Amino acid sequence: MTSLLSASALVAVLPGDSGDVRVLDGVSIALAPGEIIDIVGPSGSGKTTLLRALARLLPDATGALALDGISAETVSASKWRAAVALLPQKPAIVGGTVRDNLLLPWTLKVRRGVPQPDITALEAAVDSVRLDVALDRDASRLSVGQSARVALLRVLLTRPRVLLLDEPDAALDEASAAAVGELTVRFAAEGGGVVRVRHHVADGLATRRLHLEGGTLADALVARVPAVRP
Amino acid sequence: MTSAAGGVIPIGWQGLALATLFVVFVGVVSIRLSLGITKDLAIATVRTYVQLLALGFILRAVFRINSPWLVVGLILLMVLFAAQIVLKRSPDAPRGIFGSAFVAMALTGFIVTFAVTGVIVQVKPWYLPQYVIPLAGMVIGNSMTGIALAIERVYADFDAREDELLALTALGATPWEASHGSIRDALRAGLIPTITSMAAAGLVFIPGMMSGQILAGADPVTATAYQIVVMLMVAAATALGSVIALMLTYHRRFTADGVFLEKGYRREGR
Repeated sequence: MTSLLSASALVAVLPGDSGDVRVLDGVSIALAPGEIIDIVGPSGSGKTTLLRALARLLPDATGALALDGISAETVSASKWRAAVALLPQKPAIVGGTVRDNLLLPWTLKVRRGVPQPDITALEAAVDSVRLDVALDRDASRLSVGQSARVALLRVLLTRPRVLLLDEPDAALDEASAAAVGELTVRFAAEGGGVVRVRHHVADGLATRRLHLEGGTLADALVARVPAVRP
Repeated sequence: MTSAAGGVIPIGWQGLALATLFVVFVGVVSIRLSLGITKDLAIATVRTYVQLLALGFILRAVFRINSPWLVVGLILLMVLFAAQIVLKRSPDAPRGIFGSAFVAMALTGFIVTFAVTGVIVQVKPWYLPQYVIPLAGMVIGNSMTGIALAIERVYADFDAREDELLALTALGATPWEASHGSIRDALRAGLIPTITSMAAAGLVFIPGMMSGQILAGADPVTATAYQIVVMLMVAAATALGSVIALMLTYHRRFTADGVFLEKGYRREGR
């Protein structure tokens, strides 16, 4: 099977308190269509850094990235990020209504000429994550869990090829987390690829679990245990 | 201190010495009440004397020499000092602010000043220092205040909104699209003092330039026309200067690939 997203020899050197730290030290990863990869590892091991590098959102990162075999060097950073979509851990809700937030991506130049989802699609999306709020609700009044789901829907509605989820269910109750899990599985089943960073106990949705520590990535040997420490 | 222009009654050295008694009075109050500002007050008084007297003699010389090169050179010198002040007031801004502020104020200074002297007042010759230099001073001084406020504000706002900047960039936003909200708020912050003083002019205070012209014997209505031109000119200078400065600087906190440099990713000087 050809890989959807591939990364090789990713290196990230970040300024630390006592000199530079090699957070990623030659990380390679290949994500196939339909796959859900969970990245586990101790706090501060660079899981978020890895997601940012994959989305081309990491300053000074080096290494080779390709989507569908096409090198990232031939694609503009904006187009790459629209296809390899990172959902940051902290949901960033902008002013306006829930609808304004969901349609935010279509106000950007990178999606000029791409039709935005209609009301029916937006309502269906909101229902799919058990988000019981009206589309014209003031977004600043959403709870943390509701904001997290709006931010996830905002990314999903843009139909990226790859989803990079940084702790997508950290702020959610069990039922909402399950709904987010279902959406993630459906996205993968439709040919997308997913890389998740999770701290919670394994939810059984991942097709592979990789362990990041000391700047390198290895197969996580112990299943269903978060943050394996050797 | 001998020549009197227009209807001004000249103030002699004795007059200046008497005016210093005002400060002496404040100094006595400060010592009696232990306000602890006696030294600062003394230094400020000396600076007022030295700086303004120097300015007076320099301007007198410049008016006599009456050379276009000297006028342009003085404007550039004012811009240089102003850019230095903007740099000092923005300790958290990335490298390159000095050059951007200099370019923004030089453009604003020349465009707005000569629009006023050349088109509205129509001075002849075009560089007549008596008009050009005071007007350029007001244009540059006000655009400096606006630029310093706007720059300070935009970088503080970027840091406060770093999560939003990351989320927008992740959705494919360009640095301009991601920073648009912060830039708008910063421009607004830079313009508010000017708008406030325009709204209060004539009600709360007689603007400085108008007071000066009236003291110099000008007809109050003539002075009013000048003051209106100056206030509109200052508004334009503040807006134009802040817009140019922000356009030249906002992207300095982003990488070439359009990623906002959060605090943890900043290296020396960026």
